[in-house]
Amino acid sequence: MAENIVLDPVTRIEGHLRVEAVVENGKITDAWATGTLYRGVETILKGRKPEDAFYVTQRICGVCPTSHGHASSMAVESAYGIKIPNGARLVRNIYESAENLHSHILWFYILAALDYVNPAKALSADIGDTVDLAKAAGTGISDFAAVQERVGDLVKGGDLSVFSNGWWGLNPITDAEKIDAELYNPDMPAELHLIGVAHYLEALEMQAEAARVMAILGGKFPHGMTSVAGGTAFVPDSLKLDDILYRLKRVVAWINNTMIPDVLAIAPFYTAALEFGGGCGKFLSFGLFNDTDLDMHNRFFPAGYIDVANGLKVDPVDTDKIKEDVKHAWYTSPSGLHPQHGQTQAISRWDDSTFDLDGQYTWGKAPRYDDKPAEVGPLSRMLVGYLSPGADPAIKGTIDYALDALGITDPTLLVSLLGRVAARVLEAKVMGDQVINYVVELVEAINSGDAQTFQEYVDHDGEGAGFWEAPRGALAHFVNVENGRIANYNVVTPSTWDMSPRDDNGVRGPMEEALVGTPIADVERPIMAARIARSFDP
Amino acid sequence: MTNKGTSFYERLEARGVSRRDFLKFCGATATMLGLSSSAAPMIGAKIAGAADEGGLYPALWLHGGACTGCTESIAQATYPNVADIVLDFLNLVGQETIQMSAGVQTLEGNEEFAEEHAGKYILIIEGTVITGLDGNMLRVGGHPFIEELENFASKAAVVIALGSCAVDGGWVVAYPNPAKGTGVGPYLKSKGVATPVVNLPGCPMNPEELVSVVVEALLLADRDSDGVPVLGPIVNRLDANGRPKWLYGSTIHDNCPRRGHFENGEFVYEFGSDEEAMGYCLYPVGCKGPQTYRRCPMIRWNSSVSWCVDSGGPCIGCANWNWVDQNAPFRGRFRRVGAGVLGSGGVDPAIAAAAIGGIAGAALIAHGFGMKAAKRIGSNATLKTEECKEWETKHAKKGGAA
Repeated sequence: MAENIVLDPVTRIEGHLRVEAVVENGKITDAWATGTLYRGVETILKGRKPEDAFYVTQRICGVCPTSHGHASSMAVESAYGIKIPNGARLVRNIYESAENLHSHILWFYILAALDYVNPAKALSADIGDTVDLAKAAGTGISDFAAVQERVGDLVKGGDLSVFSNGWWGLNPITDAEKIDAELYNPDMPAELHLIGVAHYLEALEMQAEAARVMAILGGKFPHGMTSVAGGTAFVPDSLKLDDILYRLKRVVAWINNTMIPDVLAIAPFYTAALEFGGGCGKFLSFGLFNDTDLDMHNRFFPAGYIDVANGLKVDPVDTDKIKEDVKHAWYTSPSGLHPQHGQTQAISRWDDSTFDLDGQYTWGKAPRYDDKPAEVGPLSRMLVGYLSPGADPAIKGTIDYALDALGITDPTLLVSLLGRVAARVLEAKVMGDQVINYVVELVEAINSGDAQTFQEYVDHDGEGAGFWEAPRGALAHFVNVENGRIANYNVVTPSTWDMSPRDDNGVRGPMEEALVGTPIADVERPIMAARIARSFDP
Repeated sequence: MTNKGTSFYERLEARGVSRRDFLKFCGATATMLGLSSSAAPMIGAKIAGAADEGGLYPALWLHGGACTGCTESIAQATYPNVADIVLDFLNLVGQETIQMSAGVQTLEGNEEFAEEHAGKYILIIEGTVITGLDGNMLRVGGHPFIEELENFASKAAVVIALGSCAVDGGWVVAYPNPAKGTGVGPYLKSKGVATPVVNLPGCPMNPEELVSVVVEALLLADRDSDGVPVLGPIVNRLDANGRPKWLYGSTIHDNCPRRGHFENGEFVYEFGSDEEAMGYCLYPVGCKGPQTYRRCPMIRWNSSVSWCVDSGGPCIGCANWNWVDQNAPFRGRFRRVGAGVLGSGGVDPAIAAAAIGGIAGAALIAHGFGMKAAKRIGSNATLKTEECKEWETKHAKKGGAA
């Protein structure tokens, strides 16, 4: 018998998302992802100065504003024919790394972890055993007793604050056994839950520390001020670089000594998630962290496209193959346009039939690469890096280390829910180690006189595009400049790729496809659907 | 609704925060409230007392058309953990970005919460009120968000409009305002909802600003016989635009550490220049500090490590009303005092205030450029010196302030 599930709002994400699915015989057989918010940034930007887009487009996403700012400035630089100087390149690489470290920590611990770690079960952990377990797992030793007391206070007081109603209609104390069996894994010891909760609290400080690096570089986070077209308004000096390096090293040490071992300790209890949630099997990355030639295929995380159906190999990205379908979205503008000339015209009236899963059902467009959906994000970046012969060996090395630690021999199992979660955490380690290199490189560049931070320019009309990566995946801004003003602006965000609706051919988007086949034990408590949705950090 | 098991200070220490750290935080709060730092122990005692007696104060945090930047911002609060703890005084049942629940449990939980604490809870709104397509341009739980907003606001004790988007629609209402956005205050007024609204403009909101309001509104307030804070005092300390006077009483320019360079006529004309490396005044590259009311130079950002101008970025006036239309082009020097395109319609006193700020800014810059022209000796300096003209000719197109 088919049953429906509706998850609205999907919480612990940025933005507004609704997920609907059909469940038959304990598995999802069809799914729809609905973006429920329209703001119209592209329309607002028309007629404005191209340089202003840097400030406005950051406000699309308060979690990844740095990436939007960078992509916007790159689009304008591309239209003006500017090549940013070496100092600006390195400052932006450090800035973007800090955002990724911030975002990966925040996503794993604050947004995703509560689907795998139960704060209520942490209350029954033995403190001595918790310390022993943390030692054995090689993860950080926290004041576990204090954390347990803090959570205990909350539960005793009866006001659960942000944990309220968090057990899908069950009572965290009286239904503890059912929760453990159906929502989590009864084999996962209470001590590991307590470790997870303790490090959830530490993560709050660590994501803030990474954000402080961005604040030094851009004045504040979110919504920094310096990565303007032409380079950066930030002037690196010894005082600030010292501060940046110290804070980055603190964050990197925590990632290596706490975050990575935590994931390797928790993952064995969720290996069932290697069997589903893989999605469309096509992966796209625009590449992240520029080398001196600013070529997307020569970036630290190289640009590339993988269609798993064609074997584990990477093809170069041809940006002409991108288009956006809108047949199933609430727009009246033409479908199938390349985003350089994209249009965004919202529907003009709403009635009871407007929200129609067989017709139009979302504000999200459906970006397609080579006419097919493509997943973007850390899993895509890591897979492209893993399979690109020229990529930094740290990417392959880190994945192989984790596969070995988890006893997984087939790397294609990474194309799964657990693989997507693990890839993001592992990427934090790769990026953390690399950002230290960028700081060192910047110091050397300053010493050798090759650290110019801004390239003066003359603006002129033309078309430009900035292809970059936000922490959650491939991001592109497109600008057409006429008479010194923006004639057309278009943004294709990672969430647009991943939570895209069906395209004009009726093919599901990556998240929709990942939901299909996902086991749902109880339609009243679709935690597994929430895990899938959050694994994309939509 | 209390956590009476342990005392406030014990709980504080359990969270790795010493009494000394906490008093340091109270000192910063005192400064922000315009009190002497010697008031810190008094504030500390009030907070501790309130925490031990009153326990968690009920609060609900909803997202309108938001980028989640204000939530991100609050996650970056000053002094490790301490501001979080003050927020821990809130029984924050709904907060979509961090709450454990989802879907129907979230919606029902919010409803039950509002019934249980009707008239007593604080409602925090982040993001623009989207009214396009009768509110269907933002739906939550299958209904227009504006219905949820009206419902929960009418039952709240006070509403905090967090960040420029919630105050007046923020960047979303910039011309042509395609989603028909507006602010929480104007929207509730149009629906006849009388709940007082505290406006905290800025994009994003600075966490210290919210903490300061929470301390002022909930912890320093007197309580009635039911232990509910009496919110009168904070409402009386708002300016004509609903902003806390102690946070928005001076301009960025008033307190800018680069003010000395402005007075000396020492300016940055191009990024990457020697003048920029010297930390000169950013007015010629578009700084909107003179017409922007906020305390960024003093409060700073992200545990006070920096703020926009300190990093080299000119102020873009993100705390102004309809700030994008008011201040764009951002890199242009602000020579026009115009009202821009109004998001909420009609004449808003805030626009007048912003315009006055602009005039003050123009007067100030005349003064600054004059100082430079006169090599800091003349008293009859004029704005259009040869050097200024040359700069304006060179930058006319890029500045774009037509």
